[in-house]
Amino acid sequence: MQDLSLHLMDIIENSITAEATFIDVVIERNEVDNYLKFIITDNGYGMDAKDIDKAVNPFYTSKAQRKIKVGLGIPLFKQNAEFCNGFFILESKKNIGTKITVQFELNNIDRMPLGNIGDTMLTSIIGHPNVNFRFELICKNKNVKMSKFVVNTEEIKNELGDVPINYPDVVQYLDELINEGIKKTYMEEH
Amino acid sequence: MKTLADLKKIREQAQKNMSLRESNNRIKIVIGMGTSGIAMGAREVMKTFLNELANRKIDDVLVTQTGEKGLSSMEPVVDIIEEGKPTITYGLVNSEKAKRIVSEHIVNGKVIEEFVVEAK
Repeated sequence: MQDLSLHLMDIIENSITAEATFIDVVIERNEVDNYLKFIITDNGYGMDAKDIDKAVNPFYTSKAQRKIKVGLGIPLFKQNAEFCNGFFILESKKNIGTKITVQFELNNIDRMPLGNIGDTMLTSIIGHPNVNFRFELICKNKNVKMSKFVVNTEEIKNELGDVPINYPDVVQYLDELINEGIKKTYMEEH
Repeated sequence: MKTLADLKKIREQAQKNMSLRESNNRIKIVIGMGTSGIAMGAREVMKTFLNELANRKIDDVLVTQTGEKGLSSMEPVVDIIEEGKPTITYGLVNSEKAKRIVSEHIVNGKVIEEFVVEAK
């Protein structure tokens, strides 16, 4: 993965595979305490302790049809965080859901760029119209006080009634809404 | 700023458009969004499809995602599913190819043979 937004996309796809119907993503960029943190929580089918150990093993995949067992999504994200004075915590309960917390030292030279977080949000929402997403962006700047942006697809779907969330004009609306939110919270990196 | 009131306007217009049609999803474009697809640029490909369809005001084509399908060396992989026709799988898709798929396949109904990995 070239950037963190793509890693996030991969984690979201894991939640989808686990049949989650609700995925909550919090991204916090804290310049005061020098960290960039992702918290991804889903209500998918979860894992027991044995599977959690396997999930961080690069030579394990949940895909039964694979002859060569490689599942690099989680191990690489974990390794990237640990290389940057950060950490990766995977908590999960069978039939309840999974929570992943990943933190990076914000100004670490080895930290991957955030990347296009807006496209990850948009394509996840549009690609999974039956799943509800809540994305929360929090930014704590040294000179600006805390700013926050939340997009909750449940609210949007209520407003849309029988019009699907992947209807083209809605897609454009969401794209603009998300990018306004990213600007407002100074989430973008330059 | 975008508001929920903007959404209401979109809803009203969309409901009018949708009521005039028999089928709301003439074609389904399915993008493989497994780990290898993502690493090879599937997200950008999906965004290109969404933009192209919006620019051309095509609103009866659904863009959606699926997981890994075991064609890792061909990622990003895109399926074009149309009722009554064989499903076409395009491989090694990038933004440029996605644009051609919209103009040639989606709009003009012509399969682009050189990009096809599978047809069934």
